[in-house]
Amino acid sequence: MTTYHERAANEIATEHPSRTVTPIMRKLVEDSRAMLRKSPADARQRAEAARAEAIGRLEELHTQVRANFERRGIGYHRANTPADAVRIIRDLLGDAKRVAKSKSMVGEEVGLTHALRDAGIDLLETDIGEYIVDIEGRGPSHITAPALHLNRARIREMLARNGGDLPDDDPVRLSRYVRDVVGRFFQDCDAGITGANAVVARSGRVMVVENEGNVSLGASHPKLHIVITGLEKVVADEAGALAILEVLAPSATAQPLTSFSHFLADPDPGQQRHVVFVDNGRSAIAAGKYHDVLRCIRCGACMNACPVYRAAGGLSYGSPYMGPIGAVLSPLLWKDGRYADLPLASSLCGRCTEVCPVGIPLHRMLLDLRADSVRAGQTGSRLERLAWQAWSLAFEGPTRARASAALGRIGLNGGRRVFRTHGTATDPRVLPAAGVPERDPANLVADARRPDSVTVIAPDEIEPPDLVDLFRLRAAALGVTLLDHHDPREGDRVLRATAGIAATGSVLLTGEAAARRPLLGARRVVVFLDPAALVRYPSGLAPHLGDGDCLVLTGASRTADIEKQIVRGIHGSEELAVVLEGAR
Amino acid sequence: MARVALFDPCYLGTLRPADASHAMRVLEALGDEVTLIDGRCCGQPSYNSGFRPEAKRVALSLLREARHHDVIVTTSGSCTSMVTHFVPGLFEGSKRDGAARIAGRFREFASYVAAHPGLDSLALMLEGTVVYHDSCHQRRELGGTDEVLTLLGKIDLLEVRRLTYEAECCGFGGAFTVKLPEVAAEMMTAKLDDIRASGAKVAVSTDFSCLGHLEAGARGTGQTLETWTIAELLAKALG
Repeated sequence: MTTYHERAANEIATEHPSRTVTPIMRKLVEDSRAMLRKSPADARQRAEAARAEAIGRLEELHTQVRANFERRGIGYHRANTPADAVRIIRDLLGDAKRVAKSKSMVGEEVGLTHALRDAGIDLLETDIGEYIVDIEGRGPSHITAPALHLNRARIREMLARNGGDLPDDDPVRLSRYVRDVVGRFFQDCDAGITGANAVVARSGRVMVVENEGNVSLGASHPKLHIVITGLEKVVADEAGALAILEVLAPSATAQPLTSFSHFLADPDPGQQRHVVFVDNGRSAIAAGKYHDVLRCIRCGACMNACPVYRAAGGLSYGSPYMGPIGAVLSPLLWKDGRYADLPLASSLCGRCTEVCPVGIPLHRMLLDLRADSVRAGQTGSRLERLAWQAWSLAFEGPTRARASAALGRIGLNGGRRVFRTHGTATDPRVLPAAGVPERDPANLVADARRPDSVTVIAPDEIEPPDLVDLFRLRAAALGVTLLDHHDPREGDRVLRATAGIAATGSVLLTGEAAARRPLLGARRVVVFLDPAALVRYPSGLAPHLGDGDCLVLTGASRTADIEKQIVRGIHGSEELAVVLEGAR
Repeated sequence: MARVALFDPCYLGTLRPADASHAMRVLEALGDEVTLIDGRCCGQPSYNSGFRPEAKRVALSLLREARHHDVIVTTSGSCTSMVTHFVPGLFEGSKRDGAARIAGRFREFASYVAAHPGLDSLALMLEGTVVYHDSCHQRRELGGTDEVLTLLGKIDLLEVRRLTYEAECCGFGGAFTVKLPEVAAEMMTAKLDDIRASGAKVAVSTDFSCLGHLEAGARGTGQTLETWTIAELLAKALG
């Protein structure tokens, strides 16, 4: 296997990822920060506490989950290894031949797609980004934006490989093309496989979030819905799940919430639902010093902020988990040493730890993992060890250290005459000069600032104190139509919301109103909302969630899988209208 | 005023042997009585590479010297962060407590000066424009960005520009820069672009490790750039 250094150097030389990735991530990190400021001030602490509690009570919560699944008729399965996970899912699929799969990082981890295809199953990746990278064949480069490394022109080429003859590379056209391919597949397939973002122990509901509607279609497959997720994804109660929601989409994609936040309960009549929990070393991680890494909610904020990720891209990691979280998690999950050098893929700048919404001390874990792998003999050559031993002898006392410093100066200054007087194409640096530098007073006179270099920081929005006004503001920002009364149109699906969330412009649908297929089939969705049922933040929904099926709608279905440009109306209507009853 | 030690970090002693005297001048102007600690290292290079016994050996030597002093002013945010956050963890039990006690007395130079009661009696003046590079350790490990900016604001006639992407790492990262040079160079190029866009030709920072790396890149690419530590800047501003 190649080293991280080899892969990164190659990726920089051939693909130059930072050109595509850096501008996107710079904007995303700022937008995420702005969106998190609109969440309650204690959202991160509550999300962190909910995840920490789940890891501390892992087995106890699984006992609760199992009992609640039994009550609901949901199958509970546990896979110790990737092979077990594949075998269990293969068995659950039975005679199913055509299977629609949505995004799952655990699915990537266990190699589900390839394993099922090898077993003769016609499996389609239904997430737009995953569909594209599946054609490319190099895997996802980001956990929430799998095709981030490809620009629109490259994506058009990929689609052409699969028979998509498109006249131009407009992201709207490309996104809708994939939507139609996926939509046709859903009309005639035998099962849906999805991931999960949390499994609530107290009620036995599966929380899963998405933007496109493909999870809605997979989870509502009339015959069989299989969920694959990590053992650690349990959470004690609805308050914990809602705390996660408050930070997940803002941290991941700078959205208040994703278009669809599902709380899946009993299977529909005639439908089977199974959840496969993959251990693959997680129990061991939970019992060891890196247990905090299991708090991860897979938002990707750490990779969005990571300068190494931006420079060398996500594919350089060579692992299903990339970025800082990948550099911590991969060597812990694959103990054979294949990812032992990933913790070196960090300048330890600490931005990952700063942005992590659940308080994982990522860069400190990277430091500890480096020490572990040196101790285990997985990284650090004998030569490197000798060098550090010599160095520590030299700097153990001042006399030798001063001599070493002087020798270092002579070496550097001599070396500068002989080599590295010019930089190379991949590394323009020359050897540093040692000594007292010359100073030119003229350099204190600066040029004008380049006009494009001034960051325009959007002023904080003034938040209306009134919940109705706040709801209108945030819903309108998502493209939701606000109506005073309903003028019926053909193809309308008219529903009544159980509650609404003002700060995110969302509506909560429960029971029959949450039925996904009629919702996605409608030309327009019109939701009646009683202003008295508005809560300020997602966490306020807890008393409204009941015990059954719930769906939080936040704007129309959408995707941003192509160059992060938002395209509305993927599976499901472009038009979501809300009628605020009796409000001004 | 106060009796303090000045820790001149190993790499600074090697690459910029005059920097300690700049820092010394500033501290003495503030009225401090200064003892120099040189020829020592905090252990960060090998610590960050995963070689902890080697880091412990050199850090122990530093702590033994430092224990005689109540305050150890350190002209590097990175070394200060290493000593205060990570060195105690190299020891076990009561030795860890002892190490933490000594480590707790280390202060990054600019933050120390910014909070010094003698600061307002100094007449600091330097005409010109510089751009501030916020090192990751100064910013995130020590949380000392505002202190440095406040300090720089006290220099008359000096314009201090801020980088557009101030929170981004310059790509040095110690052994990182040697082990992954192509990645480090990408990050450095982004930082040098940002510096160029600021219009300034002098970059100042609490951390010469970042500055040396940026200067090496600027020379290699033909960008005009002088890099000054905060100590050098303040020494010049003393007149």
